[in-house]
Amino acid sequence: MPFKRFSQANPLLTLGLIVAVWLLLPTALKTLARASFFELTAPVSLAASRVRDLQDFWSLRARSRTELIEAGRDLARVNASFELAVQQNGELRAEVARLEELLRLPPLRDHRLEHARVARRDFSGWWQRIVIRKGRDHGIPAGAPVVFSGGVVGRVAEVHATTAVVELISSPTMRLAGVVEGDTRPISFQGGVNPTLAPPRGVVELMPLDIIANPAAPKRLVTAGFGGVFPPGLTLGTIVRADLASDGLFKSGEVELDPRLGTLTEVSVLVPVAPAAAPVRPAP
Amino acid sequence: MRRVIILLLTQVLLWALLAELNHGLSGWQVHVFGGALFVVYPALHLGRGEGLLVAGWAGLLCDAHAPVAFGTHGLLFAAAHLLLFRARERVPRQDPVSQILVVLFTNLALFLGLSLLRLPVAPAPGGAWGRLLPDLLASQVTLALVAVWFLALQDRLVRLGDAWAELRGHRG
Repeated sequence: MPFKRFSQANPLLTLGLIVAVWLLLPTALKTLARASFFELTAPVSLAASRVRDLQDFWSLRARSRTELIEAGRDLARVNASFELAVQQNGELRAEVARLEELLRLPPLRDHRLEHARVARRDFSGWWQRIVIRKGRDHGIPAGAPVVFSGGVVGRVAEVHATTAVVELISSPTMRLAGVVEGDTRPISFQGGVNPTLAPPRGVVELMPLDIIANPAAPKRLVTAGFGGVFPPGLTLGTIVRADLASDGLFKSGEVELDPRLGTLTEVSVLVPVAPAAAPVRPAP
Repeated sequence: MRRVIILLLTQVLLWALLAELNHGLSGWQVHVFGGALFVVYPALHLGRGEGLLVAGWAGLLCDAHAPVAFGTHGLLFAAAHLLLFRARERVPRQDPVSQILVVLFTNLALFLGLSLLRLPVAPAPGGAWGRLLPDLLASQVTLALVAVWFLALQDRLVRLGDAWAELRGHRG
């Protein structure tokens, strides 16, 4: 009862006390509480996602057989071209392995693809994240790169038992190193302000002065591969504007990201694979 | 405690509905923030402690799904609850227009509070308002449309819970 009187008389002081107690709580307790609240609501997100999948399934069932036959034929053509690309890829990988062996280079980091459905998209002006339907139980590690057919989606920010949260490259807090295709000098990329009713955007900084990009002659921005998280050469977006920065030493610019980022339904997580033990070679 | 549990369940329902709405709107880069709906009913109709518990719990629920320091929404919601609780005697609580106005002003305050906390991490804090203002507009329009329904739903469920408890009391 005395507390009730105190809180009624001093609501702002009560709030101050709550803030003070909250700040003094151990971080481990807060982390546990955050994970518990997330896991508590994870079944809600997963159930909603599965209901959407069921809706898609029944809407696809309504398609005519002629449409399915046409889709199958188109798919067979695409598969044929991909099979050719797989053969070429195999030859190139063998060539890379031979060169690594010859030059005694450390092997490139290898990844396996873990495909996952998107359970929830959360694109606000403050952050841009998606929740995917795979998590710790499927071997998804925190920090793993996430890609789709259009290039980089983002990075795994949180991993839970059956879900994981991916921070998108369009998120203002996302930073990574990129290079202009065909160039080797690194550029700093950051997610940007994503205007309403427009494709997501990012910004680039520390761009060399000789790189010219404008809407008429845009430049493709790809991952640099530095830091070992993102493999090199994955598409980030297109630099559509580059102006002299305020320091006069570099350029800064605007990057247009893939508009499909806003409607993603399936992504692939690049899970790092531990390199196989190198064979022992006799000394020359 | 029964009322608190009923309201916690409605908060989960509200969170799920907002998440689905935002999932659908993501293609247009529009986001609806409905923080006020978590706070207004407990502040206007429950006791101080019970209402604070419900508002704080809803805040932590939102925090678990946002890349902010855990407790940010919780403390914002708690502050909104305490301020609304203090002013509730001057608000006609059953009048739909008053309810909508309270929800809109509370949502505006919470949205601005969260934006001011998040702006320092944006690459161009000034330019961020170009995105945040349409989001705020979409949020306010949505809340103006659904606030009366959601508050009535909470009220009806609380009354049903009270009636059920009374019935059990009579039988007992």
